Amino acid sequence: MKRFVRINDDSCQGYFCDNRISNTKYTLVNFLPMNLREQFRRFLNQYFLLIACLQLWPEIAPVSPATVWVPLLIIFSISAMKEAWDDYFRYLADKKANEREVQVVKDGILKQIKAQEIRVGDIVWLQENNEVPCDLVLLGTSNPQGICYVETSALDGETDLKIKTVPPICLGLSSELLRKIRGVIECPNPDNNILRFVANIRLDPPFIESDVQPLTINNTLLKSSYLRITNWACGVAVYTGNETILGMSRGSPEPKLTALDAIIDKLTAAIFVLQIFVVVILGFAGNIWNDTQAQKHWYLMYPKEGLWYKLLVIPLRFELLCSIMIPISLKVTLDLVKSAYARFIEWDEEMFDQETNTSAHATNSAISEDLGQVEYVLTDKTGTLTENKMTFRKCFINGTYYGNQSGDALKDVELLNAVRTSDPYVIRFLTAMALCNTVMPIKSGNREIVYKAQSKDEEALVHAAAHLHMALISKNCSIAVLNFWDNNIQYEILDVLEFTSDRKKMSVVVKNCRTAEIMLLSKGADEAILPSSFSGPKSRACADAVEHYSHHGFRTLCIAYRVLQEEEYKSWSQMYKEASCSLVDREREVAEVCRRLERDLEILGVAAIEDRLQDGVPKTLSTLRKAGIKIWMLTGDKQNTAVQIARLSNLIAPEPKGEILYINGKTDDDVVLSLDRALRIMRITARENKEMTFVVDGRALEIILEKNKDTFTELATLSETAICCRMTPSQKAQLVGLLKSCHFRTLAIGDGGNDVRMIQQAHVGIGISGREGLQAARAADYSIGKFKFLERLILVHGRYSYNRTAFIAQYIVYKSLLISFIQILFSGSSGLSGTSLLNSFSLMAYNVLYTSIPAFGSVLDKDLSEDTVMHHPHIFYFSQAGRFLNPSTFAEWFGRSLYHALVTYVIAVCCYCDKTCDMEELAMVALSGCILLQAFVITLDTNDFTMIQILAIWGNFVAFYVINLAIGLIPSTEMYMIIHRLCKQPSYWMTILLMVAAGTGPLLAIKYFRYIYRPSTIHVLQKMERSHCEPFTVTNIEPQQYQPLLCDLQVAIESTGLSSFDPHNKLQR
Amino acid sequence: MNHSNSSAAATASGSADAANLRRNSRRPKYSKFTQQELPACKPILTPKWVISVFTIVGVIFIPIGVASLLASRDVVEVVDRYDSACLPANVSHKDDKVAYITDRDTDKSCTRTVKITKDMNQPIYVYYQLDNFYQNHRRYVKSRNDQQLRDKNEANETSNCDPEKTTADGKPIVPCGLIAWSLFNDTYSFSRDGKNITVNRKHISWKSDRDHKFGSDVYPKNFQNGTLIGGGKLDSNLPLSEQEDLIVWMRTAALPTFRKLWGKIEVDLKENDTITINLENNYNTYSFSGKKKLVLSTASWLGGKNDFLGLAYLSIGGFCFVLALLFTLLYLIKPRKLGDPSYLSWNRNPAGQ
Repeated sequence: MKRFVRINDDSCQGYFCDNRISNTKYTLVNFLPMNLREQFRRFLNQYFLLIACLQLWPEIAPVSPATVWVPLLIIFSISAMKEAWDDYFRYLADKKANEREVQVVKDGILKQIKAQEIRVGDIVWLQENNEVPCDLVLLGTSNPQGICYVETSALDGETDLKIKTVPPICLGLSSELLRKIRGVIECPNPDNNILRFVANIRLDPPFIESDVQPLTINNTLLKSSYLRITNWACGVAVYTGNETILGMSRGSPEPKLTALDAIIDKLTAAIFVLQIFVVVILGFAGNIWNDTQAQKHWYLMYPKEGLWYKLLVIPLRFELLCSIMIPISLKVTLDLVKSAYARFIEWDEEMFDQETNTSAHATNSAISEDLGQVEYVLTDKTGTLTENKMTFRKCFINGTYYGNQSGDALKDVELLNAVRTSDPYVIRFLTAMALCNTVMPIKSGNREIVYKAQSKDEEALVHAAAHLHMALISKNCSIAVLNFWDNNIQYEILDVLEFTSDRKKMSVVVKNCRTAEIMLLSKGADEAILPSSFSGPKSRACADAVEHYSHHGFRTLCIAYRVLQEEEYKSWSQMYKEASCSLVDREREVAEVCRRLERDLEILGVAAIEDRLQDGVPKTLSTLRKAGIKIWMLTGDKQNTAVQIARLSNLIAPEPKGEILYINGKTDDDVVLSLDRALRIMRITARENKEMTFVVDGRALEIILEKNKDTFTELATLSETAICCRMTPSQKAQLVGLLKSCHFRTLAIGDGGNDVRMIQQAHVGIGISGREGLQAARAADYSIGKFKFLERLILVHGRYSYNRTAFIAQYIVYKSLLISFIQILFSGSSGLSGTSLLNSFSLMAYNVLYTSIPAFGSVLDKDLSEDTVMHHPHIFYFSQAGRFLNPSTFAEWFGRSLYHALVTYVIAVCCYCDKTCDMEELAMVALSGCILLQAFVITLDTNDFTMIQILAIWGNFVAFYVINLAIGLIPSTEMYMIIHRLCKQPSYWMTILLMVAAGTGPLLAIKYFRYIYRPSTIHVLQKMERSHCEPFTVTNIEPQQYQPLLCDLQVAIESTGLSSFDPHNKLQR
Repeated sequence: MNHSNSSAAATASGSADAANLRRNSRRPKYSKFTQQELPACKPILTPKWVISVFTIVGVIFIPIGVASLLASRDVVEVVDRYDSACLPANVSHKDDKVAYITDRDTDKSCTRTVKITKDMNQPIYVYYQLDNFYQNHRRYVKSRNDQQLRDKNEANETSNCDPEKTTADGKPIVPCGLIAWSLFNDTYSFSRDGKNITVNRKHISWKSDRDHKFGSDVYPKNFQNGTLIGGGKLDSNLPLSEQEDLIVWMRTAALPTFRKLWGKIEVDLKENDTITINLENNYNTYSFSGKKKLVLSTASWLGGKNDFLGLAYLSIGGFCFVLALLFTLLYLIKPRKLGDPSYLSWNRNPAGQ
């Protein structure tokens, strides 16, 4: 359970793994077996292998075994090669990380080594802005107080700087001493909790050989964080390689299978059952024929005594004959069209992010259809929805709104005048902005002051104050210097009453060194500041201002102050010291003491800070919600901020319609009770036109998932939106897992390393790329530059991909069923002996060539234009609910194939053949009938025709004749001169025409009837979109013409209520 | 936010031109194809369009149907079933029939007369028709070797020919296989009013088969020499390309009832002519109760007598007419405006259809 790390001791380093990280799936040795095992996990592949093996037995093989083996081997090697290629890139990325140079203490001196060579116990020396190569326990920094700043955005997504401290035992050691330090760290075995680290350290003599000292997470530098504004820091490696906390929290990515693939697998299994059924029936009948008839047919020379397995021979022959029911081309074709979708995503100009210069990227090209079936979007907040850039925008000081006209208080002339004339209120306000914080001003080389803050809000305020000539220029433990119009004012910082999430405010007590005036400066949320201030018109005006700003989507901070009398401060200070030192329930006592001071405040004003949402986020979220997608926000951030952002980004509807249910509580029971209450309210309001959102934090979630998972699951399925704050990376992944276990299609989107597990766990993982950390983008299936592209990715690309694959998959199954039904019909007139009507070549070419090329054309098919889809996101419901590929649509295709097989075979036999023709002729007539029929079937089911599609469909038909005419010239083939003979006969062409008319007539009639008299939403939109344009022209609908129509439709949608599109319907189905 | 991240600052402010170049290169290249914006024709199924399609199909199909029906009616076909009639009167049991037909020494000649029902213009095709004969049986249809038939040097190539590969002493049979072994061997001669009608037995097979599938220098070898005699024998002095009966026979029929061309009569036959046929009833169809028929038939531009094609055309044409009529009526009774939002499916049934 525990590991003992000997610091700086080379002698016992072999114990633990080195710092080599490996994200690759395979090694050279295990590639073949592992890849094969993975490929054979799919039912289809097992089936094909079985068929291919059976083909090797000439007694039963209807056609030459090469017709199965060659495509099979090609398919498998293509898949394997793709995997190998992907893995190779992962290997290269790992290699780059592993070979990064780092500084490590060896024998008391600094040495450059590769990151992969770091061993547990090594002392790693970091310079400013270095990435931490493995998990370290901090031993020393350049800062005399023993602190350093790290940025952990790759770990938890928070871009605030975090302060890490050197354990007291090592405090004050010089860098020379640090290089010689020896000792032992006792720490737990690696796990994935980034918030907990319980360990002890003991130093060897000659260092302070006091007893064991505890270490906490505050003493650690975790891998993938960055050292900031600290010249150097050093630490001892405790976890390395894949055992780091980051490495442990990265689950191994599982191969993803789309919902559509799963259905296709199921349907193929159903076909397999049908096939077995056919085989058993025909095999049985064939055996009976053999027993009763075959001996009489002397020309067959049937052996009187068969071998023991003779009963099996005929069923197995039929099995092979029917094996094309499940076409081998299905997998190849789907793989190919899927990579076409991925390319379309990457090529899409509208998803190119100008700002970060990135286009969308599809790492996993196999799951585009899932984008079209997403039910839940789980999104990170920081950096995904927001830009994570806080700016001070407006303020309200002493009854005056600044910045309301210009939109920027910093440019408001009135405010600038007030500053110039030293309006006392404004000056106080600015002083509070500059002082009431924990910001550190750092002088960089060229005398410019850089502010480092733990909170972006504070940073924004200090920056704004500096802009208004009240600059914080230096600060140490007790003295802060402000510069106002080139005059330095010194303040003594007496106390800092830190921010806690309970108090929701922070205060500082400062003493003006010149006037000796003691002031309490407070800033915080309105609900924290207003109650502890004088009630009166001022306070009310302030509340109005807060409301006003919140309404416009700003984060607000109230700023207040109070002048303290010397005596009052002194007596309070005494109490505060006592409370701070108390050992029991310190936090509560400190809060209590603070409360005593933070009273009777005088409100100075309100500062409005903008946490800029990314461009287009509110629109994107509302479109996605209209499309029936439920959106959850999972963030590591604080609850207030999360709710605020949710409001701003349209995730939660404004008050009367949307309502927030908080699930929280101090104790476990409180949490459970609160959950039950939330569920009850949710159930009651489910029918009303209300949008309920629940808010839960990480701690409560932990309790809930442990105690009351079912209730939470029900709540999760009922609510449209949810906000989960203070989530750890594994909790995010856990929530994804929870939704997945309820069979929802999930999409996770995030930008930081803390989202990696969620991204990998979800059905579709999307990373926001272009920002600093590319971890999420690398782990994701798709990466996009901005959140707003998600809309297009899902509604346009996802939807099209789903529609296209649904059509192509069913079409491929249809055409294979068609040909195998013809074979079965023929075997009825060939003595149930399992003769193949078609020869090897035709059979292979039918699958691979004649029927695949038109299918490929369908990757360009669009049922509705992109504009229409974006304007009517509701129709996303069709693909989300899987309306285009399900057992009933499949039954339709099945019936169609049976009907077409009957039409083709019966017409070929009765019209053309009529006793005189031989097998090759019959086969060719039936085959060409099938090909032409299918050209019409595809034409009928294609929504729009580009030249490529027309070429694919009809060019393919022409190609069929060209190929057959060419092959017909080779005397050694079975098809020698067959098609040449046929083409000369008018009856052949008449037969083909008849097949087409009989085959497509009813389809057209049914389609037309549905289209006009039972139209689906898609049909109606299609008609609207198209009724204004001439066929065979580019259909760029003029906005002027289109707009009124759209409006009509909008009204229609609105007036009938969106509830009909409520995805709950799906649950009730 | 003024990060002291020097490296980031350097790249940002650094070489703006290079960055611009890279920017341009990373942008997806625009083309109508990559943006999925190829010009497309987007037809809608308007009532006008659909009704006219059905009408046009009806208009085209019905005349074609009439024409092909007429063509089929023009064909004169005389069929004479002789398998049971050509048995001696005392043979009635199936075993006796088989015993009779397989007895090599019995004279099996038989005389039939047929009456011509209608004037027949030359060429008149003479077919034999077999019933319940599975030339398409898997065991049968595979039992041949095309290489051997084509090339005299490949005589030993008898793979697939099981069980008629070689003679008992291991010599390869040419042509090998069940198909050749079971060659049909009834013969016919025709006379009208005591005068022989010559039957042209040349060029009854496909020219392509004679020229390229059956070698002109391949001669039958060891054929029908075994203990089991199947069907007819071949003249071992004639090359395979001239053994036209064999070539015809080896075009395996697709269906168990089939006709094969035996010869062509190149004189006209008149109505009420009585044709006497002297035939050798050699071929055994009795063991599997197959019928044997002799067919005399003329041909039209569509081939032989076949009403099905015409009837099918007529019925499908009619069906299309009916559909067109039905849709017109529906359209008149319940007109639907295209793109009328009030027909949006979510107005009527929830969640679309």
